[in-house]
Amino acid sequence: MYAVRNIRLCTKDCLCLYVCPTGATDTETGQIDPEKCLDGCRLCVDACPSHAIYLIPETYPPQQEKSTDIQSILSVLSKSKTTQENIARTIVNSSTDLNMKQFAKAVSMSNRIMAEDILREAGFMLPQSQNAQDLLSSLLESEQPEDFPKEVALKLLSLLQKSNKPIEDTKT
Amino acid sequence: MKKYICTICGFIYDESMGYPQGNIKPGTSWDDISNDWVCPLCSASKSEFQEQNDVNSVSHNSNSNQDTLIPENSDYSLGELSAICSNLSKGCEKQCLLEEADLFNQLATYFENKLAPADSFDLSSLQSLLQEDLDTTYNTANKIANNEKDRGTLRALKWSEQVTRILNAHINKVDSQGSDRVKYSQIYVCEICGFVYIGDERPELCPICKVPSMKLTQVQRGA
Repeated sequence: MYAVRNIRLCTKDCLCLYVCPTGATDTETGQIDPEKCLDGCRLCVDACPSHAIYLIPETYPPQQEKSTDIQSILSVLSKSKTTQENIARTIVNSSTDLNMKQFAKAVSMSNRIMAEDILREAGFMLPQSQNAQDLLSSLLESEQPEDFPKEVALKLLSLLQKSNKPIEDTKT
Repeated sequence: MKKYICTICGFIYDESMGYPQGNIKPGTSWDDISNDWVCPLCSASKSEFQEQNDVNSVSHNSNSNQDTLIPENSDYSLGELSAICSNLSKGCEKQCLLEEADLFNQLATYFENKLAPADSFDLSSLQSLLQEDLDTTYNTANKIANNEKDRGTLRALKWSEQVTRILNAHINKVDSQGSDRVKYSQIYVCEICGFVYIGDERPELCPICKVPSMKLTQVQRGA
């Protein structure tokens, strides 16, 4: 686990600089240097008076399983929301009325956010999860149009597998 | 003296208290409030309010047919693939995995660009889908999630049902009054739950998911 700083909360009290044994917290970007940060040390996390530093895990437990009934009904909703998003986006792109365009833009954004939340709940919460990796693999294995960015999916898959091996992988 | 609750955000109008901040004196009965009055929190119209004791019967309507709704084939549409990837991109961002976040975003954009424009794209095509969501899908989904005590799903359903209700109200208003309805207002979208606010000042908190105002994005006109 390595530390990261939420720059919006940071009040520049510098206690993290005083306690860090490696100097990882003192950087020109405001981000903590992950190369120097000691795994799980958390001295800066506990010292920060503004609670602006937290630890990010490198391994995660398996996601909560969702029943097929839940997945099916959430899929009805995510299809409806993404269809509505597309209708609203088409209105944005085709209307000449600036008020209508603005309103439809908000409707399209809202539907995207709802669809994301529903799909997250249906099994795509954690990027490193088996579900997310399986989806990428199935995209790569099935037939795709020529312009499908295969290298992007491959790169992602290898990054998710290698650098962030989730706990659930070791179980299977 | 009765109480009325906004079914969108939960604001309660208590007749005995009135709403002095909005020039409604204590003791003003609900029926005496002008029909164009809107919820001070989320600007839902008066028709979105329910007398407080019968709210439950509305949100958990029990005469829907569960079996007809579940699709056999659950392959993802292009829109869903795009939303899955943009969501996972946000998940990577939160873990400060910026390269992964960018790659997921590239996939999300790819799928979005592959999506053909909608065949029919007027407000009425949105209205019929909204009606379907509100009349049947949420009821069925809530029932299943309640049975399974799946509180994560119940949370997602609660937020999106409320957001859907208010979207429906906004769309109905724009449909009947024209797009001038939004002309003199600002529009904000909550990045977390999708709540759409149309009004003058950015709310301090999202009335649906309670996230602070910095997560409410302003939608620009003519951008």
